[in-house]
Amino acid sequence: MTIPIRPLTVTINGRQHGPMDVPEGLMMIDVLHEMLGLTGSRLGCGIGICHACVVIWDRDDQTSEEVRTCITGAGFFDGKRIRTIEGTAQTDERGEIVALSPVQQAFLDQFSFQCGYCTPGFVNAATVLVERLKRAPVPRGEVQATVAAALETHICRCTGYVRYYQAVRDVILTTPGLTRDGT
Amino acid sequence: MRVRRRRTFLIAAAIAIAAVAAAAFAMRNLLSGRTGGPMQVVSAPPDVVARGKYLAEAADCAACHTAPGGTPLAGGLPMPSGYGTIYATNITPDPDNGIGRWSADDFWRALHDGVRRDGQQLYPAMPYTSYRGMTRADADAIYAYLMQMRPMKVANRRTELNFPFNIRLGMAGWNLLFLHDSLPAVSVGSSPAWQRGRYLVNVLGHCGECHTPRGIVGEMELSRSFTGFALGRVAAPDITPAGLAARGWTAAALVAFLGRGLARQGSAFGDMHPVIMLSTRNLTPADLDAVATYLLGDSPPAPTSLAAPDPAEVAADANGAGRISYVALCAGCHGLEGNGMPNTVVAMRNNSTLRLADPRNLIVAMLDGIGAENFPHRQHASDAWLRRQAKRRRGGRARELSARHLGRGEGRRDSGCRASLALRPCGLTDALEGTTALGY
Amino acid sequence: MTAADLARDRLAFPDFYGEDMLLPQGKTPAYLGQAVAILIYHEFARFRFAREKLQFNDAVIRYGAVTGPLRRDPWGAARFVRVGGRTPYDDDVFSCLKQGPVSATFDNHEPVWPKPARDGGIDAQGMYYANSITDELAHPPAEWLVLTRDYATQSGDTTALEPDNANGWYDADKQDLHLVVPTQSPQEVAEGAATMLERSRIGLKRLFLHPCFTVGYGSKDHCPMPYYGVIAALYGDGRPVRLANDRFDQFQAGLKRHQFGMRYTMAVERNTGQMQSFQANIVANGGGRANCSVALTMVGATSAESVYYFPKSDVAATAIASRALDCGSARGYGALESMTATELMVDEIADALGIDAIDLRLRNVLKTGMKNAQGAVPLGVQRAEAVLQQARAHPLWTGRAARKQAYDAAHPGKYYGVGFGSIQRRFGTGAEASLAKVELALDGRVTLSHSGTEIGTGASSSQAVACARWLGRPADALDMAVTDWPDLPVQTSGDPHTMSQADQNRLAQNPRWSPAYASASSASNSAYYFTHVTQEAARVVYLYGLWPAALAIWGSGSAQEVKPEDAQWRNESLTVEGREPLPLARLAHEAHARGLVVGAAVHGFNRWQWAEADFVVDGVLVHALVDGLSVRFGNGAGAAKQALSSTPNRYQVLDRRAVSFPPTQNNNVMIGYNTAVGTLTELAVDAASGKVALLRHHTIVECGNMLVPQLVSGQIQGATATGIGLALHEWLPLYEDGPGNGTWNFNRYHVPRGSDVAVWDQTAEVLPPLSKNEPPKGMAEVAGIPIMAAIVNAIAHATGHRFRTLPVTPDRILEVLA
Repeated sequence: MTIPIRPLTVTINGRQHGPMDVPEGLMMIDVLHEMLGLTGSRLGCGIGICHACVVIWDRDDQTSEEVRTCITGAGFFDGKRIRTIEGTAQTDERGEIVALSPVQQAFLDQFSFQCGYCTPGFVNAATVLVERLKRAPVPRGEVQATVAAALETHICRCTGYVRYYQAVRDVILTTPGLTRDGT
Repeated sequence: MRVRRRRTFLIAAAIAIAAVAAAAFAMRNLLSGRTGGPMQVVSAPPDVVARGKYLAEAADCAACHTAPGGTPLAGGLPMPSGYGTIYATNITPDPDNGIGRWSADDFWRALHDGVRRDGQQLYPAMPYTSYRGMTRADADAIYAYLMQMRPMKVANRRTELNFPFNIRLGMAGWNLLFLHDSLPAVSVGSSPAWQRGRYLVNVLGHCGECHTPRGIVGEMELSRSFTGFALGRVAAPDITPAGLAARGWTAAALVAFLGRGLARQGSAFGDMHPVIMLSTRNLTPADLDAVATYLLGDSPPAPTSLAAPDPAEVAADANGAGRISYVALCAGCHGLEGNGMPNTVVAMRNNSTLRLADPRNLIVAMLDGIGAENFPHRQHASDAWLRRQAKRRRGGRARELSARHLGRGEGRRDSGCRASLALRPCGLTDALEGTTALGY
Repeated sequence: MTAADLARDRLAFPDFYGEDMLLPQGKTPAYLGQAVAILIYHEFARFRFAREKLQFNDAVIRYGAVTGPLRRDPWGAARFVRVGGRTPYDDDVFSCLKQGPVSATFDNHEPVWPKPARDGGIDAQGMYYANSITDELAHPPAEWLVLTRDYATQSGDTTALEPDNANGWYDADKQDLHLVVPTQSPQEVAEGAATMLERSRIGLKRLFLHPCFTVGYGSKDHCPMPYYGVIAALYGDGRPVRLANDRFDQFQAGLKRHQFGMRYTMAVERNTGQMQSFQANIVANGGGRANCSVALTMVGATSAESVYYFPKSDVAATAIASRALDCGSARGYGALESMTATELMVDEIADALGIDAIDLRLRNVLKTGMKNAQGAVPLGVQRAEAVLQQARAHPLWTGRAARKQAYDAAHPGKYYGVGFGSIQRRFGTGAEASLAKVELALDGRVTLSHSGTEIGTGASSSQAVACARWLGRPADALDMAVTDWPDLPVQTSGDPHTMSQADQNRLAQNPRWSPAYASASSASNSAYYFTHVTQEAARVVYLYGLWPAALAIWGSGSAQEVKPEDAQWRNESLTVEGREPLPLARLAHEAHARGLVVGAAVHGFNRWQWAEADFVVDGVLVHALVDGLSVRFGNGAGAAKQALSSTPNRYQVLDRRAVSFPPTQNNNVMIGYNTAVGTLTELAVDAASGKVALLRHHTIVECGNMLVPQLVSGQIQGATATGIGLALHEWLPLYEDGPGNGTWNFNRYHVPRGSDVAVWDQTAEVLPPLSKNEPPKGMAEVAGIPIMAAIVNAIAHATGHRFRTLPVTPDRILEVLA
């Protein structure tokens, strides 16, 4: 049996990968794990429900959104720019982490995660939310509902969600420009 | 507000048809109508109440009379139309808001004649056009069931129709033209199951209200019964015997679909999903069989198997944009070969929706996702992509239909496909088997 | 590979897992989802596309004639009978502690209990008293309310988000096997894999086990997956092989939660509300392999009393074998199921008697010194009463009637309810063992190695923090799940749960022997048991390293003037009034220079009390609550001391002088260390959809001194979410429609989401510890249990209907509301 091959070029965490030959029909998570050594995105359910596998897709219109790599084929990402959990923290020229992102730092400070399996997905979801609020702030009174809506699809089995949600809420409330007055 | 487009109905210039003679007929109703009166006290034997509950489910009262997130049978579902919005009413036995003062005769008249207790005409958003065929005994049983429910103090919302459609009297004329004692049979048959099925489908299930095309004044075009119609965003497909067989349906598949929401041919989505959840899944196996018997007739046509695609066309499409898009965005769940995943994701191969001549529903599914599902369809699909997909999945024979033409739906950003499965928790009983075996 | 390959190479499961690692051709499968073959692919893409062809494809396996499922004897059955004395403090007439549990034989695969005889053997006597309880409940005094009810809890999946996996490679030339496995029980895997290879035709010289930080909720504790990983590695042609479940596989092959059926009869005196008698028959469906089914079912049986004192009780329990999937030590371990049923029943009885449901609990709560249903007095101060009092005064409870009236009036079609559940639960397994090594560097940096595995509960953080009690700062570097302990050789043999006292006495003469080596991370055992060994190691370093170093710095006479217990750590400096505060770094330097103790490795064993022993450290007799100790001396130690340091890391292995192991009799009686928890829930039932909206919940826990309060609150939040799932959402059919068919995933198995758990509206309180020395207690597993009954009791308050089968799904609510 021969497996058809398709070319893929994708920019991940600011670095272009490819063009490379990818067996047609591989999901993006397989490419990240098996071909690129980026194993931080987690396979949780494989059917697009738990959202442990989401990466951030940076669209040309400067918006960003989550994409589930377990059910999205590699082909979808051809020519696109994405961020994975490996690219979230700031690193120096040697690749050493010098600063965590505000979301990552808040998750650490607030003991948000336990086993950590769902954490990359939560970091990405919260990052996308923060970026959205930069473009379109919400009234302070709506922050909790906004956080809940943005994270609802992410499954966590360990934490009961409370410390994740609280950390994201606090990041939003303490970052200038993400909220406006009102309820 | 989230609106379930359960039955968007059409009312056209029926007002003009309301002739003077009709007005006289209507006046008689109005004069006999009442508003006050005593609370009705109904005592019915438990078996009648139970039968009433079953019939109320078979007649799917809750689909309209229970708003999403609302109080059971206390109304509130908005049914928008080009002429304004009608709200389903409170049919709990609350004396002030519901039917607490209605007698069994009043209730019968609403179901049979489309006339409220106060004598006002109902709009045919209430499917009395179908319920007219109901037996008095069945109507009384439903009444008995409703009257023993907990009364709910939920006020009715006023119908918001524009002039002149807000003149209810006009419906009297419409009724003279379009209210029939019985609806035509859509299949050939005579067996007891077929007879029962005809009653369940035509009357209680009021299937024709969605699946039969509507004429210019909102009437069911009975000569084209069950040939399909797009009342809402998702079109109700052709469910004539020929239409069903052409898309591969068999009686067993229909039973599975109506009983569980899921068959090899596809899953219930859009407006059909609540029909399954609230109504058909509660039918007894015998009644489900009867429904299937009626829909296909006593001698069901053989299901048409899908013609194998032209190998040349397949080969030519190997590098086509449609195939590439399918692999990128659909194959993760529906499979490279379109087989889906059992109990999880419907197959695309032999899928009934893909075999419809009109690609509308496929496009809507891709735009909106289905139920709890959040495919990348809506988020990531361009119009051109959707057209390609509709074309590809249907073997290139589709009439191209622009997604822009349909607009964007509300797009449910939920994940997975739970709602499309509608699985009954039958296994819970099994779960106890182990203990039963030991004498519990 | 098929069973034929394994047979050829004499590869089989370790005994614990039973036979037929792969189903042999021609044999009826023992259970749904039993493994048949392992296919190894050398290339990912091929694997991926082959999988698409094979998964969900019923034609892949060729079936023979229909035989029907196997019928097998239950995995085990036992009966726990107690007839108490005049008061809860008097001698029992009959109890497990005094006489023992009653064991059953099997006839036609059903348990048969012995013939009763007052003066017969223990079993016969037990049945005599059991029958007397039965008779009394059948013909109760007029003032008794006797209620009999059937309860059932669901089969479920623990749903650790990381599915089971095992990675390994085998170097045939060197006969080295390398395994990288996520497991809660690394020691068990190491031993099991070694045993497996020892019995096989395949040679093994060295086994390298790399356990990972993971998560399991019991599904990775004594889990078969690592052994399939061993097989895959052995047949991998020298390549590294990755065996990893996807979610469908995990539902199909992961260890499941036992389904429980429980018939309870409870008698309460109407006037006083005093509980009189309790009889239960518990059947747990253990599925296709025994695994821990017997132990778990017995824990369920001996926990069924919940927080109450019963003068008489008779609890029979059977773990049955069936064609359901194999079940493991799912979170809650039997107690979750049996206690939930009790809490539902007590609520119903309170209703029937017209007594406030928390009042009724308070009237019957087991207090310190009272006997439990096995006739044993639980260890320590019992604080369930304090939890109940706190709950009774909580505004969620006190205002519930008025709030229901107001809420229901304002929300037609919604029914408001408040419910409560309370339990107390042993933490630990009754044979806890672990190792810890604490070492001070010259600059005062602290390194901790521990046998415990991090499973997401924060054990690594809490163990690091635990060092601070003796060393003034948390560990700087940490190594968890350590399986290789060259510095502290410990030998073990026999089963700590079943060995005789004579055997234990004999074996204990070997100074390296202990009844158990190292425990899995499970049963909420880190806070108390792991911490104990960490702190014993740190204490030895403090007392024989840092303290003498401090005395040396403070000068002559200090030893007479200040005592170690007078000292306190402040800002990482050891301070004693009137003396110069000494920073840890300076002390470490001094201890190293003087050749004092700068490192200690310990092994501890606990069977509801700690093993203890004497050791001679540097000429000084040291008593410690450990059964093994090695020490390392600082670099300045003289040649004589250095010569004693025989291990690779220059530790001196000490021969213990006098050892005292907890008696084996402790195995019969679930004395235990208890943690008490109570939860109040407030919810609204939607009559239209049958859905339950959890509005608020509040949990009250007592767990001693917290090591890290954020971890405690995180465990409460996570555990309550699990409880919510089990009360309302999660279940699996047992048999043909169940997960064995390979089509289950999160689309049908609803794991609670943020919107299900009252994420913004939940609170918790931890009762103040009894003293500053009260040890931290395990609480994670416990905290998820009472919310289950609290939810179901709240639904009863809301709708008037008492559900007795879990989960309470919308369809079932709609059925009763109709």
